Amino acid sequence: MKNLTPLALAALALLASCDPKKEIITEPAPLTTSVYVLSEGQFGAGDGAVSVFDRTAKTLTVDAFGSANSGAKLGDVVQSMGVQGNKGYIVVNASNKIEVVNLPDFKTAGTIAGLTQPRYFTSTSATRGYVTEWRGPYTGYLPGVLSIIDLTTNTVSSRVTVGRNPEQLLALGGKIYVPNSLDNTVSVIDEATGTLSSTITVADGPGSMVADKDGNLWVLCSGFVTYLSVPPYTATRVSNGTLVRFNPASPATQLKLTFPGTASPGQLRISPAKDQLYYRFGGAEYQLSTSATALPTTPFLRRSFSGFGIDPRDNTIYGALAPSYNSNGRFVRYQPNGTPIDSFTVKVGPNGFVFN
Amino acid sequence: MNSLFRRLLAGALLALAAMGGAWAQAPANPAGSPAPADSARLSRRQHRLGEVRVRAIGPERFAVGSTLTELDSAVLAQYRGSNLAEVLQARTPLALKYYGPGQLATIALRGTSAQHTAVLWNGLNIMLPTLGQTDFALLPVGASTRVSIQPGPAAALYGSGAVGGAVLLDAAPDWRVGHRGSVQPEAGSFGLVGGNLDVRAASAAVAVRVAAGYREAQNNYSYLVQEARGPVRYTLQNAALRHQWSFSPDLAWRVGRAGELSVAAWLTDTDREIQSGTGIIGGQARERDQSRRLTLGYRHVAARSQWSGRAAWFEDVLNYRDGGAPSNSRVRTTQAQAEHTAALGARGSLRLGAEAQHFAALVDGYGAVPVTENRAAAFALLRYDSRPTLRLSANLRQAALPAGLAPLTPTVGLEWDLLHPAANASAAEAETAAPAAAAAASETGKLDLPPSLPYSVTHLLTFSASAARSYRAPTLNERYWRPGGNPDLRPESGFGYEAGLRHRLAGQPGLVLETELTAFRQEVDNWVQWLPTAGTGIWSPRNLRRVRSQGLEASTALRRQRGHYTGSAQLAYHLTDTRKTQGAPDDPDPVGVQLAFVPRHQASFSTDHRWRGWLASSTLVFSSYRYINASGQDYLPGTLLLGATLGRTLPGPAGTKLLLLAQASNLLGQAYESYPGRPAPPRSVGGSLRVDF
Repeated sequence: MKNLTPLALAALALLASCDPKKEIITEPAPLTTSVYVLSEGQFGAGDGAVSVFDRTAKTLTVDAFGSANSGAKLGDVVQSMGVQGNKGYIVVNASNKIEVVNLPDFKTAGTIAGLTQPRYFTSTSATRGYVTEWRGPYTGYLPGVLSIIDLTTNTVSSRVTVGRNPEQLLALGGKIYVPNSLDNTVSVIDEATGTLSSTITVADGPGSMVADKDGNLWVLCSGFVTYLSVPPYTATRVSNGTLVRFNPASPATQLKLTFPGTASPGQLRISPAKDQLYYRFGGAEYQLSTSATALPTTPFLRRSFSGFGIDPRDNTIYGALAPSYNSNGRFVRYQPNGTPIDSFTVKVGPNGFVFN
Repeated sequence: MNSLFRRLLAGALLALAAMGGAWAQAPANPAGSPAPADSARLSRRQHRLGEVRVRAIGPERFAVGSTLTELDSAVLAQYRGSNLAEVLQARTPLALKYYGPGQLATIALRGTSAQHTAVLWNGLNIMLPTLGQTDFALLPVGASTRVSIQPGPAAALYGSGAVGGAVLLDAAPDWRVGHRGSVQPEAGSFGLVGGNLDVRAASAAVAVRVAAGYREAQNNYSYLVQEARGPVRYTLQNAALRHQWSFSPDLAWRVGRAGELSVAAWLTDTDREIQSGTGIIGGQARERDQSRRLTLGYRHVAARSQWSGRAAWFEDVLNYRDGGAPSNSRVRTTQAQAEHTAALGARGSLRLGAEAQHFAALVDGYGAVPVTENRAAAFALLRYDSRPTLRLSANLRQAALPAGLAPLTPTVGLEWDLLHPAANASAAEAETAAPAAAAAASETGKLDLPPSLPYSVTHLLTFSASAARSYRAPTLNERYWRPGGNPDLRPESGFGYEAGLRHRLAGQPGLVLETELTAFRQEVDNWVQWLPTAGTGIWSPRNLRRVRSQGLEASTALRRQRGHYTGSAQLAYHLTDTRKTQGAPDDPDPVGVQLAFVPRHQASFSTDHRWRGWLASSTLVFSSYRYINASGQDYLPGTLLLGATLGRTLPGPAGTKLLLLAQASNLLGQAYESYPGRPAPPRSVGGSLRVDF
């Protein structure tokens, strides 16, 4: 065996040289032209990633975090990312953490631990952040929490219990609005006191929200579906999707636009001018004016995007495509009128875009 | 590689070997080919089985032109407490997709997927009907007395799933009169504790064997993770093998002069924690797998014909629970087989048979009502040895599935001895022995023989080739899972062919060099893939693509016996190139990329030595990088794993014999992931004490 060991070690070195070449690390793209593309990764493989797209140079750094941090993996299911100043907050759902990075180079600036099933992050200042977290197993979810983060120490300073499965929160006018996607409510937390100030009833399954140019809040509710456990096993729609609009000053007065029961809407976005809404429904992307009183019947783009965003700097539309979780995904860029521009390959499961 | 690429034997195994007197007058081969030539040919390939008076013919006899890799009993004896995945990983260059010790382990024979290798126990398919695959971590080695692998499509012989090949597990009766047995406690790194028992007794009419085994392991080893702040060491969580039981009694009873009745059971029960990826915090998944397998068979072997009938009842339970969510399944499979084999003149044999299977599945994912399915198949197998040096086979199977007929699956094969001992003998007369030896030495570079000794060198060079179609019936999950199950799914169909050369050189007594080279190519069409359905996003299986696999398998083994020393060295190499060649428009995976988890290069080098009471073995297995998904960009690096065994046999008290075994794996201490996010064990050791009585 002694004779074998050096031989084997030499073979190991040789072996490493047989592996494909690793990608070459390039200089980080400048903040002003960067678009961050999130990839969930293959579940269990811990290879979620954030890719940096330089919209001027049209170059892509796949897995900027790994490249900047000696090949460290981000973890399992990169869910979302928030930006505050020159810091990025990458929410890694199954790894129960938020990785904090310096921008634009993605070098680590700490880790926020002590989270459980974190979903979405937002911040209102360089010292205060918020993250929604789910609670309970998927067979019996419990009311989730909004955790308030001290961004100077990267620790949880307090928690507020909200509804079940809180999702894409929104900070507006001194309040944090939290849609509870397994209930029919939006929890409103007062920023100054860090406590629950009210709960607004909307419709079943609120998951994403935006604020328009008139100061109204739009909440997209997916509706609920259950599957029968006995033949013929059909999916049963309990409630249809609903787009809800209200003014934060009078939340009880709501405009409700109800979707057909054929699919569940999701992923509400708003144009940089805050006058056009975008959402996904039935394998297509739709566009709707904030002054509309009825839902459109014709899609804006007939594609099923796993992530969607509009660059506020030039109104370019970004659509993510995740064909399966067994192969890399890509994103396609479109002109504001929906004409495709180009497309780029990113890691498995792209689900969203973050713009500075 | 310790596994010898062997040609099959007319029958050593399945072997309801048996009955007596009638056999004394019967030729050794019921097919009726000339006995002396046949037995001479057979004896060079395998140990003589003098005590076996009757040989039943196994299906391998009709697999002319295919290679058969066999793990011999000496190897199996070293790994009796292990599961099948561990033995194959330690001793063969076969590719397994492996989540960790005790965790899900599936085989990728010739680059195909887990569902493309049929696994048969005593001739019956034991693949889990719901998933259509076999978890090799659930099959303790000690239950079988023979493990062999036949790569390449062979549906005519082994039915659904034999697309990439077949793994054959057999428990043959031991007809040596008297009783014997062994008991072997074991312990090892990371909380491994276990033991196994093997007791056999036989009279002239009845042979009984009971094998049992137990194992548990904590698998709480540490691993290093490269985090942004630097490398951090963690201890593996939720990866324990809580228990693994295996109990397999079997009984063979010679009835009358030509009959044999056999009853066998194999019960396994495994409770394990399911390791999640290291990036997933707080995983609590557990899985309980229980299989109960019972078979009852009768075989009648007469001079020029034999027939057999078999009935089997299997129950497979797979209960998975992650946190609060249970997912339970129970499938009961009832099946029957009947076959008749008759001699065709002096040189051929023909087997006709049929089988039927009935599945009754109670699976949470299918709804509350049991799902049943019936399948049936008929087959005809023909073997014809036109000359002792030219052997041919042609086989055919037609299966009927719930959605219609499966593709007709024929197989043809030939083996032709280009050089054989008779030819050598005549050549030897024309030459002196010494030049022949010198020629052999220069040819192989491995023989170091004194030229003056009178001995003869015999060469045997055999060309073999085969071509076959294969199919895989849609699994129960693929058809009935809700939502997404697709009852219209067509069976996958495969076509493949291979050709090879086998050379055997026997030099001075006790020295044998065997070399084998096989090239293969095969395609699988209507390859099934689960994908989200456009619009609804519901995952559903569809016949989406065509996949081509081609490659080379080379091996060479040198065996030496001299005085008290017996030893061997085996070198094997596999080149496997497997790519999707064609896909439906909505199939997102790229064409032309090596499939995930199929290493292009695999090689193994193993040595085994025995001297007086000592034994020593070492194995070095190399596997090149493997892509982790269909895109062919991200990969797991190549691995080089060294394992070793050291053993000492001593006389024990009261006429017993003790075997003290020490085993080590990953001796190079390589840190690697067996699957993304699943760190493999570091260097580990184990020991056992076997008491033979």
